Amino acid sequence: MSGRAENMIQLIDVSKEYKMADSCRVALQHINLTISEGEYIGILGLNQSGKSTLARLLNGLLKPTTGQVLINGMATDSPQEIRQIRQLLGMVFQNPDNQLICPVVEEEIAFGPENLGLPPEEVNKRVDWALELVGMQEMRYHAPHLLSGGQKQKVALASVLAMQPRYLVLDEPTSMLDPLSRREILEHLCRINQENHITIILISHHPEDLLDAKRLILLHEGSIYMQGTPKEVFKDMEKLKAIGLKRPGLYQLIQQVEEEGYRIDDNIKTIPQLVEMICRI
Amino acid sequence: MNDIKLGQYVHGYSLIHLLDPRTKIICCTFIVISILSNHNFWYLLAYLGLILAAIKYSGIPYKSIWRSMRGIRYLLLITFLFQAVLTPGEGLIQLGALSVTREGLSIGLINLLRLVILFLGSILLLMTTTPMKLSAGLEYLLLPLNKIKIPVQHFTTIISISFRFIPTLVEESIIIKDAQRSRGASFDSPKIFSNIKSYLAILIPLLASSMLRAEELAEAMDSRCYGGNPNQYRMQSLKYRRVDIYLIIFMTMVLFMGLFLG
Ligand SMILES: Nc1ncnc2c1ncn2[C@@H]1O[C@H](COP(=O)(O)OP(=O)(O)O)[C@@H](O)[C@H]1O
Ligand SMILES: [Mg+2]
Repeated sequence: MSGRAENMIQLIDVSKEYKMADSCRVALQHINLTISEGEYIGILGLNQSGKSTLARLLNGLLKPTTGQVLINGMATDSPQEIRQIRQLLGMVFQNPDNQLICPVVEEEIAFGPENLGLPPEEVNKRVDWALELVGMQEMRYHAPHLLSGGQKQKVALASVLAMQPRYLVLDEPTSMLDPLSRREILEHLCRINQENHITIILISHHPEDLLDAKRLILLHEGSIYMQGTPKEVFKDMEKLKAIGLKRPGLYQLIQQVEEEGYRIDDNIKTIPQLVEMICRI
Repeated sequence: MNDIKLGQYVHGYSLIHLLDPRTKIICCTFIVISILSNHNFWYLLAYLGLILAAIKYSGIPYKSIWRSMRGIRYLLLITFLFQAVLTPGEGLIQLGALSVTREGLSIGLINLLRLVILFLGSILLLMTTTPMKLSAGLEYLLLPLNKIKIPVQHFTTIISISFRFIPTLVEESIIIKDAQRSRGASFDSPKIFSNIKSYLAILIPLLASSMLRAEELAEAMDSRCYGGNPNQYRMQSLKYRRVDIYLIIFMTMVLFMGLFLG
């Protein structure tokens, strides 16, 4: 029996309210969720549905009003364990400009490991490793403000990876990027998940971003509205329509093809793949 | 957009680039002391020569330095004119009620020289030292202040953040300015009052966005475990070599020369 669940994130009946001057705003209510190490989770929801609140609860930037958030068995509201939690669970934020702290890329990536008190040689090694992982070696000595949005976001990604987290939470990391950089970031996330076995929790209000997820969690007005593989979630037109979400074109096609009586594989993630498969039928 | 290049680091491998940042900071401090404690024209002129030689050595083209000098040309001009006109003494040229005096000219010239030297010295420091090395050097030199409970690391973090964000703020202010201008705001109207109003219209959105930025930045720092320990990674880039020692000895001698001459 695992009294301390070692390799998972657990949210146990978590609610979060923001206290304001004369009112109270419920951002999340009664969330129960378990995420195991190695998963690729997509969290989908419209604006104001509580996605960022959920992200901030996960690494203790916010504390739950009621309930418990446990990361590998450690509660985010215990001050002794918060450092270890933040090392285990890295965050990438939405705005590429407001999360880079240092005037040089190299130093930016060293910032996290340095705060963990690692010796300089180890920090150096991690800077090399992280830069290579996101393909930004030649930008090592550049100033962040001279980089493009996509490059900044890659630096932000690298600077979190350099802390060698087990979980990576990304709060709408692509929403300020052009389509090309967006795809690049998503490809990096896939690779990091598959090759480095880091758990990805990708948050977006854009269904197309989340096609790589193995499990999709749909938030609506602070509660979990639907949950399942992207295929399962995007199948239910009515339920999606009810909260004003459009489903990606790919799944529209898949459903039409399946209605004709064909069975489409679950790991089809792009329209070209789908076309190829249909041609083989 | 190119104006923001003022004083920004230019990558290079010259002797000046490779000097330890602590050496450069110490030398700059020496320059400030010698310049301010001395009003011997020839000494200052020699100092100017020294700095120009150092600039030449650093491989930074004079042209870019000259361009950045244009940013302070009014300051220089006004300093010079005020000194020339307002210093009492033997009149040389009469300009209406004001007269340019010999004493004024010489003091004006000396102060002009001082400003130029200070400006060039700091520009040279900034253009040949990465922000990272600069904060490392500062942190190292100020670290003794920790003993009297001054949190030096936080200061250097602040300095480092300013290096990071000044260019971003400049960019942002240009964007806001253009946005206001496209809605008919004027920034060079002859009426001072309406100018002030236009600039307030830049300042307020800029402040608002900076508040948001600060909040998000704090979150980003928190989530990466910032605790304000001395930054070992930065400090490891500090290495004294023989040149550093020579240079400091040399600058100390120049400093004392100045003190005696002064
Ligand atoms: N700091 C805050 N103070 C008060 N209310 C907030 C704060 N942050 C978020 N909220 C409220 O919580 C709800 C969820 O917001 P958020 O988690 O940011 O959603 P999302 O990221 O999905 O857009 C919204 O109704 C929002 O107004
Ligand atoms: Mg959000």
